[in-house]
Order: sequence, then structure tokens, then C-alpha cells
Amino acid sequence: MPATLNPEDLDAEQRAALEELLFRLADDEYVHGERLIEWQIYAPTLESDLALANVAQDEFGHARLWYDLLEELGHTEAELIWERPADEFRHATLVELPFAEGDWADVILRCYLYDAAERLRLDALVDTSYAPLADRVGKVLSEERYHLENAQSWLDRLAEGDSRDRVQDALDRLFPHALSLFAEPDHEEAIIDNGFRTMSTADLRIEWLETVIPYLESLGLDVPEPDEVERPSARGRDGTHTDHWDELAAEFRRTYEELEAPEPARIGRERV
Amino acid sequence: MDLETVKERAGPRQFAPKDDMPEEYRKAATRMIQFHANSEVMGGYLEKPFIRQAPSIDRKLAFSAKVQDEIGHAQLLYRAAESLGVKTRDEMLDELARGEGKFLNCFHYPMESWHEVPMIAFFVDGAAMHRQATLKNTSWTPYAHAMDKVCFEEGFHVKHGESILSELMNGSKATQEKTQAAFETWWPRIIQFFGPTNDKSVHNDFAQEVGLKTKSNDELRDTFLDTYVPKAEKYGLVVPEYPRIEYDEELDTYHVNEDDLNWDEFWTIAKNASEGSHEQINSRSQAQAAVEWVRESMHSWEGASGAGTPQAAD
Repeated sequence: MPATLNPEDLDAEQRAALEELLFRLADDEYVHGERLIEWQIYAPTLESDLALANVAQDEFGHARLWYDLLEELGHTEAELIWERPADEFRHATLVELPFAEGDWADVILRCYLYDAAERLRLDALVDTSYAPLADRVGKVLSEERYHLENAQSWLDRLAEGDSRDRVQDALDRLFPHALSLFAEPDHEEAIIDNGFRTMSTADLRIEWLETVIPYLESLGLDVPEPDEVERPSARGRDGTHTDHWDELAAEFRRTYEELEAPEPARIGRERV
Repeated sequence: MDLETVKERAGPRQFAPKDDMPEEYRKAATRMIQFHANSEVMGGYLEKPFIRQAPSIDRKLAFSAKVQDEIGHAQLLYRAAESLGVKTRDEMLDELARGEGKFLNCFHYPMESWHEVPMIAFFVDGAAMHRQATLKNTSWTPYAHAMDKVCFEEGFHVKHGESILSELMNGSKATQEKTQAAFETWWPRIIQFFGPTNDKSVHNDFAQEVGLKTKSNDELRDTFLDTYVPKAEKYGLVVPEYPRIEYDEELDTYHVNEDDLNWDEFWTIAKNASEGSHEQINSRSQAQAAVEWVRESMHSWEGASGAGTPQAAD
């Protein structure tokens, strides 16, 4: 089905459904980027530093694309990022967790779990009915492919020898949070019925599990049983978050608040 | 090649790895390029927190790209330094982690608020651009090649720094005052960026004789002031009374009264012995030690499979 819907075509219900989908996309990328930049200057080598910085840069760029779509629907950057209450952010808890110092296994595994899910989610948006989204998915998808390759090429190595225990620790810790990527949206039915996304969240979850479990097991890792995992009380998608999130949100808003809410600067482009 | 021949032939991009360069030249060039590479890393370290703290998504992207560029520059420069055959990149990175590697004076000071950001991102980067533009004519060809790419990218960084300064100086009165206060703190350090005056510089004469440097510290500082004093004033900053800066009408150039600058502080920093040096070197060093296990694993994978390590994109 060609993408035919534009902002002016949406009724209130369609709009709410689309916004829920876009907030999840944008917030995931934004917060994932915020954590990844912590590794700049701190990665094991200059090459791995550059590669990860490149990924973080892409994630911020994608977040901006998705927030732009929300601006097209009438929101402002200030509302979307700088003044939105922290408990209205819809990212999965996986991307907000801090890193223990030197825990390169965590960042690599986190990227893998996230990027594998992101790829499936974007695949399910290629044939979206919403034209502005359809226009952007291709570019994002091509960059996400590289992220997944980078994560896998590291994982293949980290899972050999002594470092495997570190990967296993990270997996035990992160897997329950990764499952929160697939919490069903409130507007799931409208998202599917209107063709905004072409695969259900439940099916995406199944496909993700069928992708990551065999791969991780092939590396000699023990993957927790998805339905038996003890889930953290914070689920992310519903606005509940771990304590780390408030701290992170306060940090990235520090200057904005210090400057008393300046109009967020644009560089070399016009406001939508 | 003997030293006399080097001095005779010294000129832009005159020497390359195929030339048999005397030890004095190779050591001086290594010292200079290693210092430059270290400064890229430590400058990136100082600016990194402001990726997170940038007050707009465009500024965040610009800052994140910038820190990434600095790492890329370090990579290029360590390669250019390695090409002299004196030290390997790993040796230079180890020296930096151990606190023995030297780097620019300005990157030894902490940077704590957004008002300070343009002091680095506009003035220090502007000073660096000013110096680096002359290094496109350095005699060591790999260094000059690195400068081509570095200068191109730094041009964007300085523009972004200028845009931040302009935004701050068009902000509320309180914002303007805080920016002015940051300027007053940073201004003497920025002037000292160019190093000691010619008569006190240890390496200046030799580096110029063999064409590694094409301008003296004093010449660079004076021409920097000619451009940046008017720029500071254009945005409403007031240049502090001290250090005294005098305009020489005859030569049509600004000149700083060197005695007004704190050279004890400068030399303490030059030895990596200031409080900020310890803080900045140690926290990076600690972070590097925390991922030593990854580097060790990498060595064993390379040994086992002969495969390369994952590479950066682009």
C-alpha cells in the first residue's frame, strides 16, 4: 500500500496513535544516544571510540528526524525535549541504564539487543501509510544495519575466552529491560488498522526473540527464558522509569534551565 | 641527510618518510606532533560533557560531531607522528595515560558551565585554527596532509563556537555577565595558548630552522589578537585591562605585555603538574585502565585468528 496519509488527513484517534508510535521511536534513539556518548574518549581504542561515536551521532540524528515529525504535528522542540515531564518519556528502560566503568561488554550487548529490535521495528515501517514517515525510514534503516554489524562483530570476539563471563553478566542484567522494548502500545489496534506499522508488537517480539536467542546461544551464552524472567517494576513505555532516568534528564536539561529556557537554536535549517 | 642539508632544504612539505632524516629532526617533529595529537584527545575530553548539556538538539549534534572529529584528528596525527619512526602510537597513548604526554595549556583547566563553552569552542579553537593554518606549510609532509583535513573540519567547529557566543551575548543580562566573567577567566590562558615568548621558548628556533614551524610564537599571537580582539568586541565582550594589550600603529598589530601573564602557572601546567592536569589526566587514565581487559582480549584474538579488529565506519 503506498503511503498516502499526511498530517492534515489525520483525525484525532489516528493522530494519537501515530504520536505514540513516534514518541517511542524518538525517545529510544535520543536516550540511547545520551548513554553512548559517555564512551567518547573512554573507549578501548581510537578506532572503537570513533565507531561508537559514529553510532551515537546517528542515533541523535534519527531522534531529530522523529522529533521533526512530531513538530510537523504541532509540537515544539521545547515541549518535546526540554520541558516534557520526565515521566512522559516513552523509551524502554534498556536505553536509560548507566554503565559501570569499563563495562564494554554492557555497551556492546546493549547495542546488539537494541539494534536487532530497531531493525525489525523499522522494517515494519517501510510500508507505512504515513507519508512523512515512509520518506525517512530508508535512510535510518541503512544506518542501523551498520550499527548491528558493529555490535555483532564485537560480540563474536567478546564471547570468546575470558571476556565471555562479562557478556553473560551483561545479558542477565539487560535482558529483562530489553523485553520492555516490546510492551504493547495503548493505541496498538489503531496503529495496525491505519497501516502506520505493518507488523504487530507481539509479532515483532516473537521475531526478535527468534533472532537474538539462537545467535546469543551460538556464542555459548545462556539466554534467560523470556516468559520466566523477573521483570523490573519500571517498564519505560508507560512512563515509569528507573531512578537513573531522572538524573540523566536533569543533566541534559541543565544548560537549558540555566539559560532560562532559550529558544532552542537551529543550525543551518529552518524550523518546520 | 645531515642537519645542515635539512636546514638548507627546509620548506613547505619538503620531507617525507622516504627521506633519511637526522635524529634531531625526527625527535623534534615527533614531540610537536605528539603534543598536537594529545591535545586533540584532551580537548575532546573537556568538551564531551557538553554534548549532553547542549541546550538544543542541533547544538547537541554539532557537539557530538565535534568530539568525534577530535578523536579522528588524534588518530591522523598519531599516524603522522608514527611515520617519523621514533615512537609507536601505543607508546604515545601509554605516555598520555601515564600523565607523561604533554598537551595544550588550555585543556588543563576544568570547564564547568555552558558560558565557558565558547571560550574553548570559539577562542581556543580559533587560536588553534590560526596556528594550524600555518602548519599546512610544515616541512614534514604527513603532518601537512593531516592539517589539510583538520583545518577543514575545525572551520565548522569555530563557526559553531561563534554561534554559541553570539547566542549567549544576545541572551539575558545575567547570561551576558556570566559570559563576560568566563571570558575574563579564560582570556589570559587563551593568549598563553601560543606558548612562551620567543626568547623563552626552548624549541622554537630549531623547529623554525628545519621548517617544522613557519611562524614564531609571538608572530602567531599578535596576528591572532588582530583578528580576535575585534571579534570579541563585536559580540560585546570587554577585553580585560590585564594583560595589557597595546596596539602598535606603526606595525598595525596588537601586542601583549608578556610580563602581565602568569608564567609560573604556565610552566607548572607545561609539566602536567597543575590541579586540573591531575584531575583531567587521572580520570581519563582511570577510564582507560578500566578497558584494559578489552585491549588484552583483542591482542589474544589477533594472535589466535590473525583477524583485524572491528573498524570505524566512514
